Amino acid sequence: MTRPVVLSFDQLSQKSTTDTVVWTVSSIRKRVEERLPYPVVAPNEIPPGTRSLIAIGGGTLLDLAKAWRADNDPELELIAVPSLWGSGAETSPVVVLNVSGEKSIRMNERFLPDKIVFWTELCESIPEATARMACGDCWSHALEGFLSPLADDSLRIEVAGLLGRMLAVPVGNDPRWFALSGEACAAQAQSSVGLVHGIAHTLEWPLRTCQPEAGWGHAKLCSTFLWPVMEYNRQASDKWRLYMQQYDIDEQAVLAVIRHCYDKNAYAAALESLKQNWRAILRDQCTRTNSSLVRSASLEYFETWGFE
Amino acid sequence: MSNLEKLKELLIDVFLIDESEFRLDLTQEEIETWDSLGTVSMAVGVEETFGYHFSQEEALSIRSFQDIINILAAKGINFDD
Repeated sequence: MTRPVVLSFDQLSQKSTTDTVVWTVSSIRKRVEERLPYPVVAPNEIPPGTRSLIAIGGGTLLDLAKAWRADNDPELELIAVPSLWGSGAETSPVVVLNVSGEKSIRMNERFLPDKIVFWTELCESIPEATARMACGDCWSHALEGFLSPLADDSLRIEVAGLLGRMLAVPVGNDPRWFALSGEACAAQAQSSVGLVHGIAHTLEWPLRTCQPEAGWGHAKLCSTFLWPVMEYNRQASDKWRLYMQQYDIDEQAVLAVIRHCYDKNAYAAALESLKQNWRAILRDQCTRTNSSLVRSASLEYFETWGFE
Repeated sequence: MSNLEKLKELLIDVFLIDESEFRLDLTQEEIETWDSLGTVSMAVGVEETFGYHFSQEEALSIRSFQDIINILAAKGINFDD
């Protein structure tokens, strides 16, 4: 799989101003307009004659741009600039779109952006709690990709090295997570994800609907369920420990990090929705490539285990 | 629990079928959830339950529950009880 070329911010700001437009999100639009010389247009809008689209935002906006380009104008150059790490959308051939409240997942190399820019200045304003959840999202990609039954030895060697570098960067607001997150997502795209993502994809819409003030989103769900799911995997099969030993990964250090990403109040708030949607979670395609088999009765583990 | 009962419980969970609909002669074509991901999930469950890891060729050759029994029986896992 060809990976996107990484540009510097200076290179990003030196493109032609006549045929380049920007899609971005409202929270950073002012900064984008101050720092870049290109017109900002509404997402899904591409003026005639445009040759380059710069998409600056979170995973949702980047996936929208990836899908729009592939479906409408494959010749359009797409430059992805993540405003937050975690989703890894800028390096992934996968697009996840909300379609009538359900997650639609498409995967194709043509979705990959041509170029990516890690604009580290954007992380200056990220709240600590948001940064922690984004790190949980990143760790979810790396660990589920590493443990996936579809991962082969060479991929596990690659991800083991990445996990070692991730352990060296503290959970929180640190621009090094931009590149680590991109690597995690690119690696995971070569295998699969698992139950953390099965839960996140299934519960995002119900929780956003029934708890609109709680800020539920993909990163918060991944961060909340990562530790419980990894503990489930550890007790369901000996693969977790075997792989950690085989690939020389500090198991206890990993557990400490994912526990740090965990929020017991968020877990308690999501538990009822987990119970109500368990059957749908079991059917989710991510759940079905979890490293350990997830059964109907596995729900009891999540209902009764005291994640404090 | 006998190995046959363990396998039945596993396949019901993997393919999300009702116990009343379970038959040992069910084939892939008859089970909506038996796609490539179903095969992956079934292989993970067999390894956890019986300690046998299907090779890629074996996993791809399985078309029915009876095929699973035949492969496992050939590896010495007894389904006669």
